[in-house]
Amino acid sequence: EEEEEEETPDAKKSISLPVSRVRLIMKSSPDVSSINQDALFLTTKATELFVQHLALSSFNNGSGKDSNTLEYSDLAKTTEENETFHFLTDILPKKILARDYLKTLEQMQEEEEEADL
Amino acid sequence: MDGDSATTDASQLGITGEYMASSHYVLQSQDDDGEENLNDHEDGGIKENYREQDIYLPIANVARIMKNAVPQTGKIAKDAKECVQECVSEFISFITSELYLQKFREAMKGEKGIPGVSVGESLGEDLTEDSFTNPLPAGIITADGQQQNVMVYTTSYQQVQHTHTHSVTVCVTKGS
Repeated sequence: EEEEEEETPDAKKSISLPVSRVRLIMKSSPDVSSINQDALFLTTKATELFVQHLALSSFNNGSGKDSNTLEYSDLAKTTEENETFHFLTDILPKKILARDYLKTLEQMQEEEEEADL
Repeated sequence: MDGDSATTDASQLGITGEYMASSHYVLQSQDDDGEENLNDHEDGGIKENYREQDIYLPIANVARIMKNAVPQTGKIAKDAKECVQECVSEFISFITSELYLQKFREAMKGEKGIPGVSVGESLGEDLTEDSFTNPLPAGIITADGQQQNVMVYTTSYQQVQHTHTHSVTVCVTKGS
């Protein structure tokens, strides 16, 4: 797995996300033309904090506390329940197995057919 | 992108796109076993066609931050890491978006505004030095040791009374 690290002179100010990649993502937005260097740095830092916040909130809020593992479902649950994370709703749908979905679909179709009889 | 047993491609599963949209589910393969390299998202998303253009931060970096955030002995599921990786890109796009900045400017005009700070309509283009005469009570953020005047906004557009937000983004314009 590839890893990138930004090194700054002062260890205390170090960030662990690649600034260049953050910039790429920002630039992909149609609203953005140019990016102030400091705003870029701070966006990167804020992103770090966001990851921490999302991970810890989901871990504490979900099954993680008992199973000691952060699962996808914990993230989906936290997103649903926490207004702060509502902007993530579309990309964090609850997951079901394909076979369960197909089974439900079959049942729905059977019910429809029975209703027609 | 090839050889991945997990797919959300509706045509491959014999389900029309309509069903997927209305039920708002993401389908996962039954053999959702480790596919280390493919799911790195280094080449962009592979799960859904319309996300192929998306750019992600390296999953190793994201995973490490998550690991450090949860309690020492805690573990993180593989799909949780990938998910957060996508959320991160979404987050960055969100706080960079015009929609978000509009909310921020509105918020800063009202009671939530900070004394001595006014917000221009564009991101720093027509802000003058007069707009920032006082340093913020919240503190001055410096990236290179120089004193800067700052605009502060939170990542949630749900306005919270107390500063419980852990993520604070600062947009900096250079003062004189």
